[in-house]
Amino acid sequence: MDRRQFVLGSITALAAAPVANLARASISGADSKVPVPFAWDVKVPIDSREEFVAWAVKNRGEDPKFLTQRWNRMYAMVQNKDLTDERNKRAFLLTPREDFCRPVNRAHAYDSAFLDIGFGVTISGPHAVGRMTQVLNVQTGEKVLEIGTGSGYQSAFLSHLTDKCYSIEIIKPLAERTRSVYDELIGDGYNEFKSITTKQADGYYGWEENGPFDKIVVTCGIDHIPPPLLKQLKPNGVMVIPVGPPGAQRVLKVIKHQGQNGDITVSRSDIFNKVVPFVPFTKLVDGEIKGAHNGDAKDTK
Amino acid sequence: MTASRISTPTAQPRSAFLFYLAVALIAGAVIALQISIMRIFSVGSWAHFGSMVVSLAMMGFGLTSVVMCAANDWFEKHWQGVANVSLLAFGPLIVAANLIAQQIPFNAIFLISDPVQKWKLFGNFVLYLTPFLAGAFFLGAVFLRMKETFGRIYFADLVGAGAGGLLLLGCLYLFRPENLVVVPLALWFAAGIVWFLAQSKRSGSLTALFVLGVLCIAGHFWLPQQLAIPKLAVSDYKGVSYARKFPDNQRVYENASPFGYLEVYSSSYLHFAPGLSDNAGFNLPEMPANAYLGMYIDGEGPFGVMRNLSDKEVAYFRYLPMIYPYVIKKDPSTFVVQFGGGISTRVALHNSKHVTVAEGNPEILNAFRNDKGLRDFSGDILNDPKLDVIDYDGRLYLANTDKRYDVIDVSLADSAGLSSPGGFAIVEKYAYTREAMRAYMRALADGGVLSVTLWNKEEPPKSVLKLYATMVAAARDADPKADLSKEFYAAASYLSTATVLYKRGGFSAEDIDKLHAHTHAMSFDELTYPGFEFDTKQTADSLKSYRESIFGADDEAAKAAAAAGIASGSAGPKAKGTSIVPTSEPTTAPMADPTAPAANSADPTAPPAADPTAPAADPTGPTADPTGPDANASSPDAAPAPVPATVMGQLAWHSLLHGNGTDLSDYVFDTRPLTNNRPYFAAYVKPGDLSRTTDRLEIFQDEWGYLLLWATLGIAAVAALVLVAIPVLLGWRTIFSRTPGQLRVILYFACLGLGYIMVEVALIAKFVLPLGNPTVSASILITGMLVFSGLGSLTSERFMERAKTTMPIIFIAIGALLIAYGFVIDPVLDAIGRLPYALRLVCCFLLIAPPAFLMGFPMSTAMTWLGRLNKNAMFLWAWGINGSFSVIGAALVPIIATSFGLASVLQISGIAYLIAAPAFFAIFLPMRTARRAT
Repeated sequence: MDRRQFVLGSITALAAAPVANLARASISGADSKVPVPFAWDVKVPIDSREEFVAWAVKNRGEDPKFLTQRWNRMYAMVQNKDLTDERNKRAFLLTPREDFCRPVNRAHAYDSAFLDIGFGVTISGPHAVGRMTQVLNVQTGEKVLEIGTGSGYQSAFLSHLTDKCYSIEIIKPLAERTRSVYDELIGDGYNEFKSITTKQADGYYGWEENGPFDKIVVTCGIDHIPPPLLKQLKPNGVMVIPVGPPGAQRVLKVIKHQGQNGDITVSRSDIFNKVVPFVPFTKLVDGEIKGAHNGDAKDTK
Repeated sequence: MTASRISTPTAQPRSAFLFYLAVALIAGAVIALQISIMRIFSVGSWAHFGSMVVSLAMMGFGLTSVVMCAANDWFEKHWQGVANVSLLAFGPLIVAANLIAQQIPFNAIFLISDPVQKWKLFGNFVLYLTPFLAGAFFLGAVFLRMKETFGRIYFADLVGAGAGGLLLLGCLYLFRPENLVVVPLALWFAAGIVWFLAQSKRSGSLTALFVLGVLCIAGHFWLPQQLAIPKLAVSDYKGVSYARKFPDNQRVYENASPFGYLEVYSSSYLHFAPGLSDNAGFNLPEMPANAYLGMYIDGEGPFGVMRNLSDKEVAYFRYLPMIYPYVIKKDPSTFVVQFGGGISTRVALHNSKHVTVAEGNPEILNAFRNDKGLRDFSGDILNDPKLDVIDYDGRLYLANTDKRYDVIDVSLADSAGLSSPGGFAIVEKYAYTREAMRAYMRALADGGVLSVTLWNKEEPPKSVLKLYATMVAAARDADPKADLSKEFYAAASYLSTATVLYKRGGFSAEDIDKLHAHTHAMSFDELTYPGFEFDTKQTADSLKSYRESIFGADDEAAKAAAAAGIASGSAGPKAKGTSIVPTSEPTTAPMADPTAPAANSADPTAPPAADPTAPAADPTGPTADPTGPDANASSPDAAPAPVPATVMGQLAWHSLLHGNGTDLSDYVFDTRPLTNNRPYFAAYVKPGDLSRTTDRLEIFQDEWGYLLLWATLGIAAVAALVLVAIPVLLGWRTIFSRTPGQLRVILYFACLGLGYIMVEVALIAKFVLPLGNPTVSASILITGMLVFSGLGSLTSERFMERAKTTMPIIFIAIGALLIAYGFVIDPVLDAIGRLPYALRLVCCFLLIAPPAFLMGFPMSTAMTWLGRLNKNAMFLWAWGINGSFSVIGAALVPIIATSFGLASVLQISGIAYLIAAPAFFAIFLPMRTARRAT
C-alpha cells in the first residue's frame, strides 16, 4: 500500500464517520441499531480496506476509525498467517473488538498488544486470538466451549463461525460485566451474539449439560488440563490453551484421538508443531507493516 | 533559621552521646525504609521493581552531595538549620510518599505496551526518592559539621544502619507489610526527640516534632480509611489477587514474618495437580473436589495444600509426575527435599514405608504444626507416624547426613514463580545446583533414585536444559568413570513438566520396561533412557531454528554458526525425518496487498508477492501450514511427530551424555549448569545477545528480573555520570580549582562505593548456602558488615596521623582477603553448613569480621583528611560519588554473578580496593593558594 492510497483511504474513512454515527451510536447508546443484522451468508469485502469500511459503515453502522484499524490489523494478521482462510478473516472483521476493551484502552483496541480489562485479566492481542481461533478451525454448527470469558471478545469472534458458543467465567463481577456488554450489543442489533451462552462458574468442571464439545478454548492459567474438559471434548476434538507469560505465550494444541479400536489418546503440540517466530513479529504503523522481528519479512510499501 | 546552639561531641559527654545517637537512629531509619519499600513491592507487585526503585532512590545521596557541594559554604554555615528542617521533613515524607505511590501502582506486564506504565514507575521512583533526600540532607549536614572527626560520626552512621536493618527484620514479625513504614517512622521520631533534646533551644522544635508525629500516624492509619484508598495496593496480577476474587474464597491463615507474608485461602475453585497426565481424564473415576487450600507467600503462589484423601481419590497420584520414582521403587525410604504445600510429601507417604521431609521456611512448619485449621485440613500431616521432619534446608541435611535413602524427591521446589507474570527475579536456587545434586546423589542408597521434576512451560526450553546439564555434571563429579547414559531417564510433557530420574548404579532392563510402560500410559515424551538413540542429523536445524525463532534469520550469530559448519536450513539439504522446519523459509510471505499497486515488485529485496488463493504461494507448502483447513485433520492412529521442544530435550541429553559433535553452546540461550557460584535459572539471555533484545522485549517478559538489572545499571550509570559531571562542569575551575588530584579522588571514592556494596550483596547471596534462608542471611550480613565496618571506622582514628603508611597495608589486606575469599569461600561455607545452627551464625559473623572491619578504614580516613584539609567541596562530593557508585555496584553484582559467578564479584571488589590504594594519596595533595584577583 502506498502512502497516497493510505491517505486517501483514511480521508474516505473519516468522511464516512457522520454516516456511521447516524447509523449506530456507541455501545452505550441503545437507540441506534446495526442497520443490517448478521447473516451466515453475509458477503464482507475483505480484499480492500476502503470497500470494507464503506460496507461496514453502511451495514454495521460502526465507526470508520475503528473499522480502518480493524482492517489494517487483519492485514497484519494475514501477513503473519494468524488468519489464513476467508471465514476467519470475515469473522475478525465482523467483531467490534473496541466494544470489548475498557474505555481507557479503546484507542489501542487494534494494537498488537494485550490490554488490561481489570480483575487481573487481559484481552489477548488480536494476533493471539486470531491464531487460536484459526487453529480451532471452527465449522458452522460446531459446539465450542470457552473457559475464561474475560472480555468476551473470543466468543464474540467465534459467534461469527458457529451458532453454538458456550463461555464460562470464574470471576463473578467480570462475568456480569461481560454479559451486560453482550446484552447491550445484542440490543444494538448484533444478533449473532445471541448464540453465546454464558455463565459464572468454575470452568474446571466444564459445562457437562451442554457437552460434548467439538472445540474447547481455555484461557485461564492452571497447572494441568482439567480432566472434566478432556472428557467433554468429542473424539478427535481440539483444545487450545495459551501457555506462558503474556506476550511470550505459546499456544498448546491438544487433540483427543480415538483409535479404530476405541482407545483414546491425547497428543500435545504447539499449534504449528514446528519452531516459529513469536508473534507479534510485524509492526503496524499507520496501516503499514513496518519492520519485522524475525528478520525475513520486509517493510511493505 | 534558628541559631540555637547544639551540643556536639566537643561539648558535654551526655549531649555528645545524644548527637551520635540521633545520627545512628536516622541512619537506621534510612535502611529500615529501604527494606520496607522492598517488602512493599514484594507483596504489592514484584520484588525486583522494588530493588530498582530503592537503588535509584538511593541516588538521593548523590544528588544531595552535589547540591551541598555547590553551596558548601552556605551549608557549613547553616548546617544546623538544614539538619533540623530535613529531620522534621523526613517522617512526613515517608508517609506521604508511600501513600501517594500506592495510588499510582504501575503494572509490570504492561510496561512495554502501555507508555503510561513507565511514567507510573517513574512516579514511584520520584516519590520514594523524597524521604531519602531528606535523610541525605540531614546526614550530609551532620557529616559536614563533623568532618574533622569523621570516623566517629561514620561509626554512628554504620552501626545505626546495621541496627536499624536488624530492628526492621525483627519487626517483620509484628507488622503486616502495609504497616512496615511504621518502623522507620518510629526511628525517625526517636531520632527527632534525641536530636532536639541535645539542643539548647528545643521546645519549639519538639512541639513541631510531636505535631508532625501525630500527623504521620493519622496520615498512615486514619486517612486511607477516610478516603477509602489502599495503604498497599496489591497488583491484580499477583497470584493471591485471583484467590481473593473467587466467590467463595476465605482467608484461613495469615502470618507476617521475616520469612514472608504467608496467607492461606480456601475455595472450591482451587485445583492442584501439577503436571497431571492428560490421560487422567479418561481413566480416573473422579478427581478430588474441595480438596485444596492455596498457600501464598508475599502474594506469590498458589502452593497447593492437600487434604487427606480417601483411597479412591488418591488414584490420581498415579497421573502426577512425582510418582515416577515409585514406579520402580517399592516401599522405599524416601526423602522429600522441600515440603512446600505438602503435595509431594503426601504422594511420598502413600508410596513409601518411611518419609523424611525438609522445609527451610520455619513459618510454613509453624503454620502446619500450630494452626488448628491447617492441621485438621491436612490430616495433621507433619505428625504422621511415618514422617520425620527436618526443620531446615534439605540440601544442607543431605550434604551432611550419614543416612541413605532409596528415593530422594525434588518436585517443583521453589518453582511457583516459574509461571507467574512479572516475576522471575534473579533468585539463587541453591536446591538445584551442581553441588546440591551431588549431595542428593551421595545420599542415595545403592540402587536409590533421585527424582527431580521441574516446570517445562518455556518455549524455547530454558530452565529444563539448565537442569539437565546440572544433573549430568553432578553425576560426572560423583563417578567420573561411570557410563552416565545408563544412570539417567528423563521424560517430559509438552508445556507442562519434565522429570529426570538418576539411579545410582544404573537402571536395570526391568526398570526401563516399567518406565517405558508408565510413560506411554501417561502419554509423556521420553527424552533419554539407557540405549536411547538420537538422530544427530536434527541437531543443526534444531539449534538454528530456535535461534532464528527469537532473533530472526538475519541474526549474526546464526550466520556465524552457519560459517562454523552448521548447515543452513535453506541453503543446505534438509535433514530428512525431522519435524523441524527451519524458519529461514519465510513464514510470513506477504500476500498481495489487494489495495496496492504492484509496488512490491519494485523492491528487489522484498519477497515476491504471493497469491493468497494459490497453495503454492505458501513457501512451507500447503501440508505444512498448520492453520490451513487441514490443520485439525488428524489421523486417529497416526503417532504425532515429536514437538521441537521434545527434540531439543533429546538433543540436549544426547549432547550431555555422549557429545558426538553436538554442542549446546550454539543454543539460543544459556544452558550452563547451575553451581553454587552461579545458582541462577534466570539470566538465560546470553550477554552477547542483549543488544538484540531491545526491539522485542515483549518476548522476554520471563527475563524481566535480569533485564531490569541492566536497565537499573544503565540509569544508575547515567545518573552517577551526571552527578559527577555537574560539579565538574560548574566548579572544576572554581570550587575545585584549589583542590588538586580531583580525578584520583573520584576514582578513589568510586572504587570504595563499588567495592563495599559488591561485597555486601555478594555475601548475602553466598551466606544463604550455610544458613539456608535469604532473610537470615541478609540480617547477618547487613548487621555484621555495617557494625564491623563501623568499628573499623572508629578504630581508624588511632591511625589517622600515620594514614600514609598504614592505609596501603590496609588496602592490600582488604584486596588479598577478598580475592582469597573468592577462591575458598565455597568449601568454607560448606563446612560451616555442617555445624549446629547457632554455631553457623557465629561462624558467619567471624567470617565477615576481618574484611568488614578493614573496609571501615578507607572511607573514614579519607573523609577525615579531606575535612582536616578543609577540602569541604571535595568532602561532600566524595560522599556523593561513593553513594552513587554504591548504586551501580548493587546493580552490577547479579549481572557479574549470572555470567561469571559470585566468586568473581568478590575478586572484582578486591581489585577495586587495590586500585583505590594509589589514588588514596591524592587526598593529601595540599590546597593551592587562592589566586589573587587582578
